[in-house]
Amino acid sequence: MSTPAIRIQNLTKDFAVGMRGMKLRAVDDLCLEVGDNEIFGLLGPNGSGKSTTIKIILGLLEASTGTCEIYGRPSKLVDARRSVGFLPEAPYFYRYLTGRELVRYYARICMVPRVEIDAAVDSVIKLVGMTEAANRRVGTYSKGMLQRIGLAQSLVHDPQLVILDEPTAGVDPLGSAAIAEIVRELKRRGKTILLSSHLLAQIEGLCDRVAILHRGKLVREGRVDDLVEEKDAESLVVQGLSAEGRAAVEAEIKAQGGRLARVEKPRLSLDAYFLKEVHEREIEHATQQEGGEES
Amino acid sequence: MKITDSFTRIRLIAGTTFLEAVRQKFFNSLLLISIALVGSSTFFQQFDFGTGELKFITDFGFGALFFFGSILSITATTQLFFNEMENRTALTMLAKPVYKLEFLAGKFLGAHLLLLCFTLVITLVLSGILYWREMALLERLGNELILNGSLIRYGDVFLFGFLQWMKFGILAAFTLFVASFSNTNLYTIVVSFFMLVICQLQYIARDAYTSMEAGWERILVLGLGLIFPNFQLFNIGDQLVFDVEKAPAVSTVLQITGYGAIYVVAFILLAQVNFRRREI
Ligand SMILES: Nc1ncnc2c1ncn2[C@@H]1O[C@H](COP(=O)(O)OP(=O)(O)OP(=O)(O)O)[C@@H](O)[C@H]1O
Ligand SMILES: [Mg+2]
Repeated sequence: MSTPAIRIQNLTKDFAVGMRGMKLRAVDDLCLEVGDNEIFGLLGPNGSGKSTTIKIILGLLEASTGTCEIYGRPSKLVDARRSVGFLPEAPYFYRYLTGRELVRYYARICMVPRVEIDAAVDSVIKLVGMTEAANRRVGTYSKGMLQRIGLAQSLVHDPQLVILDEPTAGVDPLGSAAIAEIVRELKRRGKTILLSSHLLAQIEGLCDRVAILHRGKLVREGRVDDLVEEKDAESLVVQGLSAEGRAAVEAEIKAQGGRLARVEKPRLSLDAYFLKEVHEREIEHATQQEGGEES
Repeated sequence: MKITDSFTRIRLIAGTTFLEAVRQKFFNSLLLISIALVGSSTFFQQFDFGTGELKFITDFGFGALFFFGSILSITATTQLFFNEMENRTALTMLAKPVYKLEFLAGKFLGAHLLLLCFTLVITLVLSGILYWREMALLERLGNELILNGSLIRYGDVFLFGFLQWMKFGILAAFTLFVASFSNTNLYTIVVSFFMLVICQLQYIARDAYTSMEAGWERILVLGLGLIFPNFQLFNIGDQLVFDVEKAPAVSTVLQITGYGAIYVVAFILLAQVNFRRREI
């Protein structure tokens, strides 16, 4: 097996809070491994230590005990971060730069070669759908736009490992879907992605593996399918069945030794419903505008 | 890691720091007040000081430069550092392959660049006013006062500005050092102002030292004198500008500059020691 992208071993982080050396344990004896070219989700309620773990991975905080490695190198080393992109939670940037200037600035900090900078900046800005607003000052951006420009900033130097702390916080469902698509595209390009969230619906279809934290402890870890699948049940989605037909099916199930556990109407998730509706409006809007321009 | 890359990053960080500072209202209003103050010294012309007037304007201008420059060094550096912490832009920056020392050096240089702007503007305004008054004076009193073409050596005005700027650098570096372990801007500002006062009065300790007998007290005073830079060294303004005989030797200026640079580097390195352990 190749070296894992991230390896965390027995990681504990205590914060000193208040006087008299009171300690708050934010991460408790955490062991994790994120494989190369994997989408890994870090889940957990507020204050469960997701951001703290991420900060330790990035060398922004020092672990109290335990180790953390990025591609086999201690994450404390500056060099280990060379190929890492990071989007902090609730990002905030220099307000007086324009979006493009900001992304460019970080590209230069990351030593993107001069000849490639313009192309790299333009392509990530396009990727996150900020082309229109790229020449406006960051101070005027909305929350979701900040998140998007933050994502652009984290990707501009084409990092191998991308760490996103709540990438979809404050982003509308359309934007969240777009971000999810970006994450999938990154995976196709062979990158590794670690993301944290407490919006489980969004993570579910996206992550290969997830870890669930609770009060700094690892509660569960594994492939999403393995975790949520009901191993002993299957569902049939049937259309256009008459009442007699259904009685016959139920009888047959019984005859075959099965048991009808429950009958439910399949529902679109609200998320999917919203997306579908908005998508239709968007197309309508686009065709209308085209028509308007022509006349 | 190549060292040139390091310099590139420091330059970039300094650039944005400077830009951010220049766009702050605080800097601009302080600059305006200082210009106004330097300009206001000309109102005293009605008292007709003669050549004394020029001396007065010079002292006044230098005083304003020192006073407001010191305020700016401390407050701007504090502000620039804590802005970055509170807005968590430092988080994004330090998650990149950027050394903390590079970050601090960038912050310092950005602040120092700001102070350079400030010093340059003030010295330019002061020189302009001095030139204007000098011309008026010469017209009135005729040419008998002229020593070698003019009453004032304008180069010295800028030399004084330069030395003050070096001093502001020490102050900014010290402020950064305090900021690296303190949690609030107020604490940082207060401690830095104390430091300014101590450094300004440090020569008293030096005087005491020369008159002291050998012993632990002497060592203590010597130690204090080393920890706190002697700001009086930078105030050679009195001899400058007018006194032809006492024009400062180039070597003296270089020595003072070197003295300042050593303190700047030392304080930034100390800041780095604290900053490395700081939780961001
Ligand atoms: N600098 C700090 N000093 C003291 N305590 C801290 C610090 N940073 C985080 N904590 C504490 O550590 C715990 C974990 O915080 P963390 O930010 O990692 O949670 P999280 O899982 O990211 O939560 P959220 O979903 O709200 O972002 C919390 O109890 C928090 O109060
Ligand atoms: Mg968090």
